[in-house]
Amino acid sequence: MNLSGPSLEALIRRLADTPPDFMDEPRVAGAGRVAVTALVNDLAAMHGERAVLDTLGVFEGGSARGDRNRLAVAMIGTWLLADPWFLAQRLDAAALVQTLAEVAAEMAATTPAHRFTSDAERREELARSMLARFGYRPAGETVAQATDRLAAISASERRRLLEASRAAEQRAREIREALARKVAEESADKWTRE
Amino acid sequence: MSAAWRDDDPLRRERFPTLGPAGQRMLDFMLRHPCAPIYRNQSGNRLLAHEVEAQHAHEREVADAAVGWLTDAVPDWVPPLVEDVFAWVPHYRTLGSPPHALEDVAPVSRADLAADIAQFVPDTVPLDRMINFRTTGTTGHPLILPSHPVVAARYAAYHKRALRRVGVEPRHGRGQVGVVLLGYQRHCFTYVSVSPTVDESGLAKLNLHPNDWKHPDDRARYLDALAPEIVAGDPISFAHYLELPLPRAPRALISVSMTLLPGLREKLERRFGCPVLDIYSLNEVGPVGVFDAALGGYLLLQSKLYVELLDRDGRPVPAGERGEITVTGGFNFCLPLLRYRTGDIAALQFSDQGPVLIGLSGRRPVRYLACGAWINNIDVTHALLPFPISHFNVHQDVDASVVLRLAPDAMAYADAARAALAPLFGKQGVTVEVLQADGKTLQYTSDLEGARS
Repeated sequence: MNLSGPSLEALIRRLADTPPDFMDEPRVAGAGRVAVTALVNDLAAMHGERAVLDTLGVFEGGSARGDRNRLAVAMIGTWLLADPWFLAQRLDAAALVQTLAEVAAEMAATTPAHRFTSDAERREELARSMLARFGYRPAGETVAQATDRLAAISASERRRLLEASRAAEQRAREIREALARKVAEESADKWTRE
Repeated sequence: MSAAWRDDDPLRRERFPTLGPAGQRMLDFMLRHPCAPIYRNQSGNRLLAHEVEAQHAHEREVADAAVGWLTDAVPDWVPPLVEDVFAWVPHYRTLGSPPHALEDVAPVSRADLAADIAQFVPDTVPLDRMINFRTTGTTGHPLILPSHPVVAARYAAYHKRALRRVGVEPRHGRGQVGVVLLGYQRHCFTYVSVSPTVDESGLAKLNLHPNDWKHPDDRARYLDALAPEIVAGDPISFAHYLELPLPRAPRALISVSMTLLPGLREKLERRFGCPVLDIYSLNEVGPVGVFDAALGGYLLLQSKLYVELLDRDGRPVPAGERGEITVTGGFNFCLPLLRYRTGDIAALQFSDQGPVLIGLSGRRPVRYLACGAWINNIDVTHALLPFPISHFNVHQDVDASVVLRLAPDAMAYADAARAALAPLFGKQGVTVEVLQADGKTLQYTSDLEGARS
């Protein structure tokens, strides 16, 4: 984060104004409409280079469970990286593709994609993370300020995720136990049994 | 009296939270009748007083609801359901943000539910009164499905809707037995209960298999004493029910679980002189449709169950074409489904009474190689339509030989059934064997490569 970057507010505003096309359904396992590989390739071209085809494979979806949210975040990330400030930096295609893939995977693990457009804190997290990965900090912030703010905002989300995931495991265990109880096995009256 | 029944059982209050003197008398009557079977299990309605009231309201709602939607338009209750499910159901939460359209929801199948059913139960569902329904696993994925006493009770509303269509308004009440569920299996879950929604009328689930009776003749004596208004079962149990010397008939029969061939239906109608409803019902979503010969298929019964037909790749098939029945919604709040692929195949047509599933065939269709070409198992069903067969299997071996297996009591139709299949299979012919199976049978099977279309 040694380099001073753009106004954070401008990037956050851009995320809030993400066009519907970038929140459409990514193509996963034959379903969906947006080919994210093509979208990322177009982004690389806008930065002045073509992406190496092999590196784009990560933006193809094999399963909804594994890839849908990640690719949906990548689409929003693509929109962010097409901001005029980013385009003016003419980012290296290989770095662009790799960074976008990493940020999308990381963010998708904690958050449903569209919250990066609808939720103020998540917009800030995505904007700061993307800048940091390319070595920039928001305009007007010191390195220490930018580092602290990004750490705080990411840590709170990670903490939330951890708690949610513990709660989910506990809940799943309780459901399995509830289903195995004698009372559950006895079931209850139905007019017919399939 | 059944050894399984103990008045001091601490679980009894949970089984019958609202039990009154009339209900107790009914339970005693069904259990202590001299010809009563050996009841092997216990269960109950489990409904709390306020849930009994709610059930009345639900029945009125179901009775009056319009079932259907405009062609190519998702019903307006679906998008909010998608939002809710993506917010509260763990499996869907991992998929990210809710999609804008139902068609963008990745379908799920029985295998997904079998892998970890807990992922499909909403976070908002309390677990203290959760019950389960087990499915038989004829497709290789045995399932334990989460449910609730209120969900189980709601079945009656859809059956009553179906009965009303054939002019039967159930009128059983206090001191009478409303419903008897019949099984015919070596091992069967059997019990007695009362329905607080209909003044503690009786409900019994019993097994016609002789193993469960002190004397086989007790079956008819007991059923006559119970005099149920409605008898529910499947083609196998009905084939045995048909043979009992019963002086009185119920007001309606309800068949679920397996294909009810018209031959058996007609025989049942003649024997009992009452309507025989053939209900397409799934443990996952309850009663889906009721067969109506005039409409040529199963008329949908649930107003909050949206049905799509999908091709193998999960795309909706063109109007009128056959596809896998895929359901969204349902009344089981423990298991709200989005695009659940049932494994059953049909076409969908719209009638003035609602959407109708045409040419329903259970589970994925099987193709048979006949005279050098593939034929659908539907053709086999059509060839067997005239026979009152309850229980059969048509199997093609790797060498393409075909065997028709019939339940022992249907072997009288062996020659006629073989002759009916001859035009389909030509010179290679069909051999007939006795079907040795207990319970449900996969009706169409094949070991030939490419048989699963």
